[in-house]
Amino acid sequence: MGGRFLALFLVAATIALVVVGTLWPVPAAAAYAGMSPSGIMHSPSTPESAVDNLAIAIGHQDWPKAYSELSNKAEFTEQDFLHDLTGSYPSLRTYAILDTYQVQPLHVSDSDAQVRLRMRWSTVVGTFLDTRNLQVVRNGDQWAPVWPIVKETRVPPQVIAVNYLRWDVIYRGPADDWGAQDVEAPHVRIVDMHPVERAAGVVVLGELLNEDVVPAYVSVKATLLAKNGSAIATEDSFDKISHLLLPKQVTPFLITFPNVSLSEVDSIHMDPMSNLVAASADPVVEIQNQKLSPAPDAIFGGDLVNQSGQIVNIAHVLGTFYDQSGQLVWVADQYIDRALLPQTPVSFSMPVPEDLARKVSTERAVVATYSSGGFQ
Amino acid sequence: MAVFAVHLPLLLMGLPLKSYDTNFHIFFASHYLHHWFNPWNAKWYAGFSQTTYPPLPQQWVALVSRLIGLDLAYMAVQFAAILLLALGVYRFALLWVNQRAASLAALASVFLGSESFLVYSAGQLSTTAAAPLYLNALPYMFEWIREGKWRSFLKGAALFTAAAAAHHATLLFGSMFFAIPVLALVLIDRQGGERVSTGAFVMRTVVMTAVVGAAVALVLLPFWIALIHYPVTQTPIPHASRANYILSPQWGVNYFVVPYGFLVLALPFIFVRGSVVARLRPLLLGFWLAFLVGLGGTTPVGRVLLGRAFDVLTMERFSYWATLLALPFVGLLAAELIDRYRLRAVAGLTLAATATCALAVAWSTYRPADAQDFKVDAVANWLNRDGHDNYRYVTLGFGNKISRLAVLTDASSVDGEWNSGRMLPELTAHAGGALTSSKYFGKEGLDALHAILDHADRYSLKWVFVRDPYYEPLLSFGGWRRVDNLEDRTVTVWSKDGVPPATTVNAPQMPPAWQGLMWGTLPLGSSILAILVVLLPDSRRRAPVGVESDIAQEDYVSGRLVS
Repeated sequence: MGGRFLALFLVAATIALVVVGTLWPVPAAAAYAGMSPSGIMHSPSTPESAVDNLAIAIGHQDWPKAYSELSNKAEFTEQDFLHDLTGSYPSLRTYAILDTYQVQPLHVSDSDAQVRLRMRWSTVVGTFLDTRNLQVVRNGDQWAPVWPIVKETRVPPQVIAVNYLRWDVIYRGPADDWGAQDVEAPHVRIVDMHPVERAAGVVVLGELLNEDVVPAYVSVKATLLAKNGSAIATEDSFDKISHLLLPKQVTPFLITFPNVSLSEVDSIHMDPMSNLVAASADPVVEIQNQKLSPAPDAIFGGDLVNQSGQIVNIAHVLGTFYDQSGQLVWVADQYIDRALLPQTPVSFSMPVPEDLARKVSTERAVVATYSSGGFQ
Repeated sequence: MAVFAVHLPLLLMGLPLKSYDTNFHIFFASHYLHHWFNPWNAKWYAGFSQTTYPPLPQQWVALVSRLIGLDLAYMAVQFAAILLLALGVYRFALLWVNQRAASLAALASVFLGSESFLVYSAGQLSTTAAAPLYLNALPYMFEWIREGKWRSFLKGAALFTAAAAAHHATLLFGSMFFAIPVLALVLIDRQGGERVSTGAFVMRTVVMTAVVGAAVALVLLPFWIALIHYPVTQTPIPHASRANYILSPQWGVNYFVVPYGFLVLALPFIFVRGSVVARLRPLLLGFWLAFLVGLGGTTPVGRVLLGRAFDVLTMERFSYWATLLALPFVGLLAAELIDRYRLRAVAGLTLAATATCALAVAWSTYRPADAQDFKVDAVANWLNRDGHDNYRYVTLGFGNKISRLAVLTDASSVDGEWNSGRMLPELTAHAGGALTSSKYFGKEGLDALHAILDHADRYSLKWVFVRDPYYEPLLSFGGWRRVDNLEDRTVTVWSKDGVPPATTVNAPQMPPAWQGLMWGTLPLGSSILAILVVLLPDSRRRAPVGVESDIAQEDYVSGRLVS
């Protein structure tokens, strides 16, 4: 009798443990199931749960499921919905993965509600935030979100004449490695540099000028030196710089030294590097309607317009901010998550720290671009 | 014969080379081949110590490779492990069931889905090498504690030590799932004809534990030193074996259906027979625990029992151990079915065993670790010429081909596949696995990649080989330039200017020469000692202990309980 009871107990315990593990999965299992922190998908009996379900489906990249959750799906196709989220042309959105999301109710009545969905997408160059304010409507005892569709502009067939400068370089031979050139490096100069203490550590800001008549591929390295002359840390600008400088162009740069205090620093050794590279001025990206909204919540924004005929898949905007005396105050940056189509404006906006924004008198933006099939 | 018929052709075909970890083991073996007494391997993570991983199977691969090359040597060692498993299962099963059932259990081990899964899909040489050694040691432990036979003590201790030298986790967790049930069996069986006093039981258990513990501590001393001085600080990295197999059915197929196969049909029998027959209960409980932990995140048991280790270990090995613990039951069930249904049972069991094995073997083709099979020889040649190997490199989009590349090239990488061996803070701070597969680890993986590229100068990282254009924007905006392409432009080479040539990093973690000497002699020596000791003849022949399970069966049939 005891043996049979043991068998029953073990089987029952196994089933119970599986049920517990499924209803309240351990974090690792929940992550693999793509669950929201609150658990599995649930009935959309509230506006928040309806938007939650939508976000879970988007996170799973289960586009048919996400589309089916919408109340206004008659207004657009599933393809339009997909293009809204992932872009019609290859861009940062195309391969982005939903990292986290937040659902925030703004207003609720008996028949409809306003809910803010903040989606943080992870991409190869970092994360970007996509915020949508959704109207959620009641249908019986269930709720369904109304998706505010953003249809990307389709560029009509046309011929765009381009007339841009281009520099080619003839190397010694096919066995030559890049970086092992026997020509003098282009002359570049740091025209401004100063350190700033921020919460994250010391930040070195500056600007680099290509003084030469040939294009330069540049980067900047900085070493913080202590009072005894020893090196505290060495870092480089990585992506906080525009690496390709055409003749007479200037790029801002920003180098971060985490967990270092400015009081420890006696001097800074700057090491700009340049190399001669083939380059062209195409694609030309114009910046329109550039403006800085004042603090608090200072935002530097504007529109990017691709004046060329080729699609820019990823654009990186570097904003440089100066005080009244013309001294550099801050450098900020933003990757644009949508492709830049010819002659089609795409907006950008980047936050500026409030304490620094109050000092800003003028600002400037430069754009670095990436087009699939080659870096420009 | 079954092992020869089933596994030898598959191994000669090199099927494990497509698995997840086979090339990892070959990479380790390749280092031992060239630097037997120096466990410091500069080819991964800008330098790491191979004392962070028990070396026995890889050292045997290195040794045998001097005759037949690394790939075939791997197959030879793996084949020996499969052969030993059949013997180990037979000897282990004999503790619990009669000779006929034990023979059938041993035969079933050849077709075990979890074994084929680990050999051909997972490529877990260490686990599949350690388990048979451990299984072979357990009957000696049983004999020593029950009868006080010193030869059994010597043989058991030597095999336990060799098992630990092959895979420490098997010994650690094997104690819980395998050894404790055997100890319980000693206590249960002492109520039968042969008795052992409680004092003798305790003393012999303590002596065995102490001697094996000391031997393992000595043989793997560099491993423990590395672990104490440089504890694993790696942020837990996601692994699909920790998924809930119901909520994530694709992983349920991979980690439950494939390893168990038709063995699931035996589960009711295992629970009923294991519960009803008193002397089988310890085995049942050991199986049950391993089974639950092997279910990964399907139940909370793994996380509760293992704590932080749950987020470090992979769970498929627990399913493997569960199936090994199930084999004595399977042997018993097969024997009864054959007695009752004769040829029909033989045909059914053969079909079930074949299908289970076939599914697990075929799984490596249906769901290959390398979705895109490609050669890395051109990349290795590029690195090995013109002084390119004076700098470090990283690959992106190469999957587990990075181990194969590391075998072929002299250059050093900042990436690797041995997560517990890495010390670079840029890697340990993020929950991402190999950099080459960063995108599959989401933000954490990409943050790790960003951090390591950001510190390219620090690690002399000059070359990036890209096989997945997904990563190109990061390189472009980060200041890297495309300088070459290989393999019909499917691989592009990116470079960063101003990077200094590679110098030694992680120097404090380099094991001193005496540790290298220990590492090169004691683990392999322990296995040779085990072979020699096991060959010692027993002083007198005795009937196997497990024949008494016939009594258990009769008790069950009559509805009477032994206890």
